Amino acid sequence: MRLPDSVTGSFLVVLGVAAAYGGWILPPVPGQPVGPNVFPLVIGTGLALCGLAIVFGIGHSFEEEEELIPLEDGQAAVAPPPPGKLYGLRALLPPALLLFYVFAADRLGFIITAAIMVYITSTALGAKWKLALPLAALSPFAIHLIFGKLLRVPLPAGLLPTPW
Amino acid sequence: MLKTLIDAFALISTWEVIIAMFAASVYGLVIGSLPGLSATMATALLVPVTFYLSPIAAIATIVAASSMAIFSGDIPGALLRIPGTPASAAYADEAYAMTRKGQAELALGAGVWFSAVGGIAGVLSLMILAPPLAEIALSFSTFEYFWLALLGLMCATLVARSSPVKAIAGMFIGLLVSCIGIENPGGVPRFTFGITDLFGGIEPIPALVGVFAVAQVMRAMLTPEPPPLPRRKFGSIMAGQWKLTRKYHWQMTRGNIVGIIIGVLPGAGADMAAWVSYAMSKRFSKEPEKFGTGHVEGLVEAGASNNASIASGWVPSLLFGIPGDTIAAIAIGVLYMKGLNPGPTLFTEKASSMYAIYLMFIIANILMIPLGIAMIRVAAYILLAPRSTVMPIIMLCCAVGSFAIGNNMFGVVTVAAFGVIGYVMEANGYPVAAMVLGIVMGTMVEQAFVTSLIKSDGSILPFFERPVAAILAAMAIGALLWPVMVWVWRKVKPVQTAAATSR
Repeated sequence: MRLPDSVTGSFLVVLGVAAAYGGWILPPVPGQPVGPNVFPLVIGTGLALCGLAIVFGIGHSFEEEEELIPLEDGQAAVAPPPPGKLYGLRALLPPALLLFYVFAADRLGFIITAAIMVYITSTALGAKWKLALPLAALSPFAIHLIFGKLLRVPLPAGLLPTPW
Repeated sequence: MLKTLIDAFALISTWEVIIAMFAASVYGLVIGSLPGLSATMATALLVPVTFYLSPIAAIATIVAASSMAIFSGDIPGALLRIPGTPASAAYADEAYAMTRKGQAELALGAGVWFSAVGGIAGVLSLMILAPPLAEIALSFSTFEYFWLALLGLMCATLVARSSPVKAIAGMFIGLLVSCIGIENPGGVPRFTFGITDLFGGIEPIPALVGVFAVAQVMRAMLTPEPPPLPRRKFGSIMAGQWKLTRKYHWQMTRGNIVGIIIGVLPGAGADMAAWVSYAMSKRFSKEPEKFGTGHVEGLVEAGASNNASIASGWVPSLLFGIPGDTIAAIAIGVLYMKGLNPGPTLFTEKASSMYAIYLMFIIANILMIPLGIAMIRVAAYILLAPRSTVMPIIMLCCAVGSFAIGNNMFGVVTVAAFGVIGYVMEANGYPVAAMVLGIVMGTMVEQAFVTSLIKSDGSILPFFERPVAAILAAMAIGALLWPVMVWVWRKVKPVQTAAATSR
């Protein structure tokens, strides 16, 4: 997800201008020179200016290249998997699973939703089903015991209520 | 004084506090030792649990977990050359070189011993610095608070190991996030886009969990698994530490002092302290050629430094609500929830609670020695746990924890959103710590700013009239203009040299 500075900078300019405009149109407090509109205006302007500076490469010389720790001699032979076009999208899996939790937890219940989440995350990180399946079966109960039972967080029961 | 101390002892000598502290210590040691799980993440995931504890026990868990995690990051650093937390990254190479020379015990022992010493030095700084600063802070008006907050935000951007412009942009993004909601001077819905869930604003804690935990799981999806730890037998871990202390007492003291100063600076935390101290140790060493070949000197100084910064990071947090580092930013959130609102009056009205915090820091750092030694011995087994079992559990904790903060599914959405934001920002060189600071301090900055503007009746002059305000203002503006000046200077300099050569 490394984007060119011109792209992120331009995005910040747009965001800053939008924030400043959004602040501008807020209703002022009657009889008061400053209200809720001042702060977004200042921040939006600042953000837009920063965005411009980034587009023009100001401050770029301060950035340090990421230091990669070189592997030991023997390990260097193991090449990383060839990054396909969709490989980068794997990173979006965790937030997608969290959104899945938001929509499914109330219907399916905590235990089932959590088990699906654990299984998918674990498999995506390279676990075989022999490891992922028991983990998905047991960890939701452990988490439910800690949060639901001990800390009394009202976790949704859904289709499969816990024995306690 | 004595009565407050006794009260403080009474506060911490309950079973709840003792158990909470012990459990949090073990938790911090385990999380810190797992590569990719940082001390900040350990603390952020702990927050939902603190809801259900008494105020003192809640703070105890944060104090214990953060101190332990910073030390424990040294373990995989020394044994695998993979730092467990960013704070250990500065000297992971050095420690690993020592392990290869057969001095793993000495490297890890130095880690635990000088971490504990550094932690206690940090607490002493907190005890000595905070009360007199509170006296001064009592006379601050909103003008001083405004400049102080701005200065804090600027500090965070200056010390980031990235482009200062990007850091300032990150800070602005954080401030913008804090604008969301109806908690503003006019009480009007601001940037809520008609979504009721946004009326209450973005809670800092789910945002922090997203930025530090979910983003980390996202990164794990794209990076290869670290190699397993070779099992080894350890000799005596504490042997030779006293000799090292006597030999390198000056380096240790310098590390402590640097760590304390960096901890107090807003936004700069343990990782920064370790980098600076390691570089300093190399620069002033009598034998700099030994650095990088498994020399313990840099380890002593940087280890003493990063733990010292943990406690001193609480100084600005407790006094002004300005977090000294990202861990303190989380601690501030917990302090507010527990009714211990940061501010100078905390030291007069809740003095016994403050003493309890000092005592807990001292106890945590003493407890670090036996628990740390035990941890070093079992680390090989804990590090056997593959990432594919740890990360799913972290995900579940993120989901349940963020839900628990408000018993509201919107918290989970916030966590997911900030996971993406944190991931994209980090990947493009925008320091997330600056954004976190913006989110935590936003409301306070706006209040101080708008109140000051109303008081000054639209004039800019009162912002500079009071002497303390003027000094703080000069510092903040200087920090703001610094990257621009450097840029201009670099543009001008090649022209000058070119002109000089052509003559």
